[in-house]
Amino acid sequence: MISPEAATTLNLALLGAASLSGVAGISARRTFLRNLGVRLAVLAFAGQTLMLLLGFHKTLPNGLSLGAYSQLLAWFVLLGGIVVWRRLRQPTPLLFASPLCFILFAVSLPCLDTAVTLPASLQSSFYALHVGALFSSLGLLTIAFFAGLLFLHLEGRIKSKRRMPGFWQDMPAISLLDKINALTVLASFPLYTLGVISGLIWARNVFGASVTGDPKEVMSIAIWLIFGVLFHNRLVKNWKGRKPARWTVLVFSLCLFSIVVINTIMNTYHAFVRG
Amino acid sequence: MESDIYLVGLNHRTAGVDVRERFALADCCDRERWALPCVGPIRESLILSTCNRVELLAAGEGDITGQMLRCWASARKARMSEIQPYVYIHRSLEAVRHVFSVASSLDSMVLGEPQILGQMKAAYRKAAACRTTGVILNRLLHKSFSVAKRVRTETAVASNAVSVSYAAVELAKRIFGDMRRHRVLLVGAGEMAELAATHLLQNGVDEILVANRTHARGEDLARQFRGRAVPFERLADFLPSVDIIITSTGSPEPIIRAGDVRAVLRARKNSPMFFIDIAVPRDIDPDVNSIDNVYLYDIDDLKEVVEENIAGRRDEAGRARKIVNEEVAAFAAWLATLDVQPTLVALVGRGERLAGEEVARTLKRLGSDDEKLREALEIMADSLVRKLHHDPIMFLKHGCAHQESNTSRISAIRRIFNLDTDS
Repeated sequence: MISPEAATTLNLALLGAASLSGVAGISARRTFLRNLGVRLAVLAFAGQTLMLLLGFHKTLPNGLSLGAYSQLLAWFVLLGGIVVWRRLRQPTPLLFASPLCFILFAVSLPCLDTAVTLPASLQSSFYALHVGALFSSLGLLTIAFFAGLLFLHLEGRIKSKRRMPGFWQDMPAISLLDKINALTVLASFPLYTLGVISGLIWARNVFGASVTGDPKEVMSIAIWLIFGVLFHNRLVKNWKGRKPARWTVLVFSLCLFSIVVINTIMNTYHAFVRG
Repeated sequence: MESDIYLVGLNHRTAGVDVRERFALADCCDRERWALPCVGPIRESLILSTCNRVELLAAGEGDITGQMLRCWASARKARMSEIQPYVYIHRSLEAVRHVFSVASSLDSMVLGEPQILGQMKAAYRKAAACRTTGVILNRLLHKSFSVAKRVRTETAVASNAVSVSYAAVELAKRIFGDMRRHRVLLVGAGEMAELAATHLLQNGVDEILVANRTHARGEDLARQFRGRAVPFERLADFLPSVDIIITSTGSPEPIIRAGDVRAVLRARKNSPMFFIDIAVPRDIDPDVNSIDNVYLYDIDDLKEVVEENIAGRRDEAGRARKIVNEEVAAFAAWLATLDVQPTLVALVGRGERLAGEEVARTLKRLGSDDEKLREALEIMADSLVRKLHHDPIMFLKHGCAHQESNTSRISAIRRIFNLDTDS
């Protein structure tokens, strides 16, 4: 059986080629290269799915590693991009997501042996639900973020009557970007809610209280509230265009802060992921 | 004597419209009245006559430009001296470069416009029907079509609208993408607004509504666009149901204000709206553009977009000319092979004939009529001839890259292999 390192390297190569091809296709305005980038990203996704199905990570000496988490996140981001590509026939978010997934894979390679061991006190059946729901939500939110960012740039140019030079002309129409943002946000929030609720129940089972004041917990609830405002206004108040795009960028940035800064620097129950 | 390519013509840069009309050859291109007969030194010919250019393209021996001009003048019942001041003449690779540039729309009045390629194809079809094109012009025209395609795909010389109405449609596409589910409201009537509506209709918009102060005129326009007329007084009632609004009324005051649009947007659940204000004085309050999900372009904004697009096309023309130069070099290489073609054919023909004779002689000497033996001998003889010819053929083809020694190489091969006297 192929080793996790070899499989990771293979996927890293595929994602690297997908990113290069996608970026070259967008900047040189070549449809062939863009299509190649999409196909390579799909191939990388299929390869990673196979890795997951065959349970490569179980062969890691110390259980699920930090690298494996990083790869799992990349898998959900690719899944989000592929869903948008298939449903809306729009490959741009997937092409934008490929370099991010490449980075996640590159970061994972030296961490495949860095074991992430859940402390015995935190062992719970909620673990898979909590991580699965949050990661799938984050994958969709990443696509919403790229669509929102692109919308803000293109809409700004149209609104201010600035020229749309070169490859910007090949970008999707702003209405479509808004639609992508809406669909991914509406799908992402319930999953995020599930992740947070499962975390709260888990915390009550372990610590006897749902809210313990842990920085990660506080941040997650704050994000959930802001995300909730975005979700509610998208769904009920018909928010469209610039406003939800800005809120999506804010929510994604806070999630990024929560993962990168709180998990790695602050004193939190989630510090176990440092390995 | 070798054939060369000649081009004689006038265009919008060298002649005014009155001169272009006077010397147009559009009605002289049918078989019966062909203006440039392929007789004498003119071997092949083609005439391109459009509103912006009249060009005669020919392949022939010696300097045939005088004869081309004579034919042209006589077809238009004019003297040569009347045409000459407006005419440009290109020869050999310059003519090739010009044809490629014209097909790629680099020589057009509106850089990158697509019509010229269709006109060239039509001219070529006519010439081919009259059987006035041959090896050289067939190849040149086919190549020019592929060069034009390459230029269009590899550069942005033909992208971006260079008219106000097209610019409005392009902007609408950037906002809405697929136009099929969107409705347009035309308020007032004006040439540019009608043109924009026509382009939107061609791009597949769902329906066009027309609101005009004179309802009868509105109904006429609605019929023209296969849409429906709505009462001008009830304009506000129809605004929530349309996505693109084109206004061009003669009203001295704005007819749509920011407050109205805010209310409309609420009714539309914030779905985006695109206002195109072509009227002067403007029909739409400029503050409308400050509302979220609403985009307003007036005539000056659209003109600015067009000017930027034209400048963009000019920038791209440099890249397009590089492609044309590459293709001219490739065509030059092909032209050079034309000189060696007869020698190659003679050389290969002589080899095949000798091989056939030797096989027959050997079979006769052996007194055998065994089919397998005949086949084996033929294969061996052919293979021997091919191998013997490989070096002389390479020597000939290699000569093509060095034009100055081409004639001497051909002459050397013809003498060595006795191709001129060998029968």
